[in-house]
Amino acid sequence: MNGKQLIRSLLLPLVMAVPALAFAAAVPGEKAPAFSEADAAGKTHALSDYAGQWLVIEWFNKDCPYVRKHYGSGNMQALQDKYTGRDINWLTVISSAKGKQGYLEPAQALKVAESHKLNASAPFLLDADGSMGRAYGAKTTPHMFIINPEGVVVYAGAIDDNDSANPAVIPDSKNYVAAALDASLGGEVIAVASSRAYGCSVKY
Amino acid sequence: MSVFKWVARYILFALSIAAGGAFAQDSASGDHVRVRWLAPDSFAVGETETIGFYFEVDPGWHVYWRNAGDSGAAPRFDFSSDGAGIGEIQWPFPTRLPIEHLTNLGYEGNVAYLFDVTPAAGAEKLSLNVNLEWLVCKIDCIPGFGTMSLERPVGTAGRWNGGDRALRDQFAQRIPRPGSASPWRTVSLSESGAEKVRLTLEGSGESPRVFPLDGNLLTATQPALRTDGDRMDYTFARVPGAPRSAATGFVLTDGERAWQFDEIPFTAAPVAPPEVENTALWWLLLAAFAGGVILNLMPCVFPVLSIKLFGLVDRGAAVHGRLREGLMYSAGSIATFAALGALLLALRAGGAAVGWGFQLQSAPVVLALVLLFWLMALSFSGVFEFGHRLMNLAGSSRGGSFATGVLAVFVAAPCTGPFMGAALGAAAVLPAASAMAIFLGLGAGLAAPFLLLSASPVLLERLPAPGPWMETLRQLLAFPLYATVIWLLWVLGRLLGDSGWLIGTLLLLAVVFALWLGRSFARWGRAAGYLVAVAALITAFGALRAPDEDRQLAGSAWQPYDKAIIDRARAGGRAVFIDYTAAWCITCQVNKKLVLESQSVMELFQSHDVLLVRADWTERDPEITGALAELGRNSVPVYAWYPPGAEKPELLPQILQERMIAALFSGENILQLTEDDTP
Repeated sequence: MNGKQLIRSLLLPLVMAVPALAFAAAVPGEKAPAFSEADAAGKTHALSDYAGQWLVIEWFNKDCPYVRKHYGSGNMQALQDKYTGRDINWLTVISSAKGKQGYLEPAQALKVAESHKLNASAPFLLDADGSMGRAYGAKTTPHMFIINPEGVVVYAGAIDDNDSANPAVIPDSKNYVAAALDASLGGEVIAVASSRAYGCSVKY
Repeated sequence: MSVFKWVARYILFALSIAAGGAFAQDSASGDHVRVRWLAPDSFAVGETETIGFYFEVDPGWHVYWRNAGDSGAAPRFDFSSDGAGIGEIQWPFPTRLPIEHLTNLGYEGNVAYLFDVTPAAGAEKLSLNVNLEWLVCKIDCIPGFGTMSLERPVGTAGRWNGGDRALRDQFAQRIPRPGSASPWRTVSLSESGAEKVRLTLEGSGESPRVFPLDGNLLTATQPALRTDGDRMDYTFARVPGAPRSAATGFVLTDGERAWQFDEIPFTAAPVAPPEVENTALWWLLLAAFAGGVILNLMPCVFPVLSIKLFGLVDRGAAVHGRLREGLMYSAGSIATFAALGALLLALRAGGAAVGWGFQLQSAPVVLALVLLFWLMALSFSGVFEFGHRLMNLAGSSRGGSFATGVLAVFVAAPCTGPFMGAALGAAAVLPAASAMAIFLGLGAGLAAPFLLLSASPVLLERLPAPGPWMETLRQLLAFPLYATVIWLLWVLGRLLGDSGWLIGTLLLLAVVFALWLGRSFARWGRAAGYLVAVAALITAFGALRAPDEDRQLAGSAWQPYDKAIIDRARAGGRAVFIDYTAAWCITCQVNKKLVLESQSVMELFQSHDVLLVRADWTERDPEITGALAELGRNSVPVYAWYPPGAEKPELLPQILQERMIAALFSGENILQLTEDDTP
């Protein structure tokens, strides 16, 4: 062992410590954080699988009143249906830790996907260790992210501009996700690229 | 509850609204919440009255402010009236509610949301209908809905039930007043990089708590606070990617009253008067440089550098050759400081709570340093040749000089000397470029004396001529290194518990054994020696594990750090002394043994009933890092003294003396007793 190796052995733990400590976030205008998570059917999805395509990521917790607002009214499923029909990928993620509200085993998740008439591109991504949620800085359910074909985040925030839990307000709300996707597909600039994500805290 | 049941509830709710006043009532309730009116029994003709909704919330549950923070939602009130004039909802100032990974803005306990109402002209009674929606959360959240109506006569004079009026007044006191009446003045609001927004206030007294009005722009997380005289900088985290508005608002509170600044315009650049800022940075850089120079004399660095220097004399190299050595050494030292600075900044950007000396909070790094110092000490003693080779390497090739520079920084890590504290503390909060400049200043300071000697033949000639005495001196210098090994083993013990000692000493034994094998049995011995050394290294580093039980403070008068206990003591008018320390901080240990735990000082503390707190930063601790940041520091030692009833602490110098502690109780100004290290 020479001096250089000694020094390398000193530096290594320092360098290794960086990714473990950093709490990153998906920021509009910046590259989307990488992820790799299995869905309820066991298929693994990674950011790289969606290179060159549009991707919407949605955080979900079946017992959160705000998630119920958008699923009970059929609003979220209608959005999923509309945009997956235009070749936009849509992943719905559960980051609830085991034992916390909203946690689902794969078999339960498949049932919930069916009972909720989930129209996403895959059954729920199960992120029980919270790694994907933390990488994206997902704070609430439903927290929404849109990633463009270049892998850049173009929207992060709430689904719409009304943080009421009452589904009756949906028709009069301005849907940020739909607006951002419509603007992008029409070649226009996204007017609102960031908003306060309302809803329940993600149960890491 | 299934989605469909839940929707059914909404339909019922919608029906109840559709049925008009039929179900309307004086109060509303839902899970964990009851709402009732705070209103007079009768209103006075033509007079505006402040009335409200009183939310009684179960303990541990919360309802929210107008900006609910990272999650949650403010209550909503949808009024209809028979012509009475109804004002905007007035929101009492909130508190920060940390909930798991988020921060919300809301209320602990019951709260009243108020508004102004003026009876319609000529009306004999006042009637109001309100549809309410609220969200109540503990960790999980439950939305609530209700309708409430109010019918009251309008007479010549208003009449209140006394208890309700007092309750109304109590919350009216917490409604923000116009900012122009506040004790603070806004100096500027500016962007600080893409991720932060800085609000600068000016005013005397304790710093207010500040809440942002716009949750789309700023997160609710507690802003970092830096004070400089009457000036206070609050640095808020921005919602990722949020576009900058032209202006934004804040509510300030001193804990009793509150003031609202609605539209503070953003200024283009940080507004602090530029010459002040420059002078401050200039002084900090000077302090950093001086701190770096002093590091050369620290017991952990001195032996390494002296040997290197004598190597230079011995070889009698040409001037330009020596200069090159000096420059390579400087490059090594500055580059390593730059790397550490970059790492610290990266961690800071990632939100991790770290500070100087953070390298020594990692057990593998400490064990590696133990090994390094052990090998150096053995080679200084002449026990084995490898050291000569290391030193030859260091003395002959350029890579070697660079490596010595790197080495010097690493061995200097534990020795936060005078002048360094203020500079490093500032580096923790300054913008990245200035912070990096401070690290480079430290590196330059560390490199300067050696560079000067290697560049100047005159100075070098003044050093004694080479001779056998150098061998003796080198052997003598081994002893501070052995001492450093012992101290680092103790640090390892603090990090890992008893097993730290065992792992460390067994590794040292194995290394010496491997060396002996290599020397005594020629070729096969050397192979076996390598084998033993590698096996020992793998076993030792693999065995590093944190202790299961928390470290206990050796049963003493010192309490572990607990903010609640400190706040209670201060509120009760008790003096508090906080020793921010770490096992790996040698200055801290010296102060502790020589001053803080000396008999006379302990007696002084006891006779004045001082709460003694030891904030142990040996391992990474976000709470203590945060407390240090509030004091404008990010290194230890820091000694904070809160006189009875004082609002702000006095910071004592980093090198303590007994008379400074005595001065705390005799009323002398401690800063005059010694040269302060802050510039």
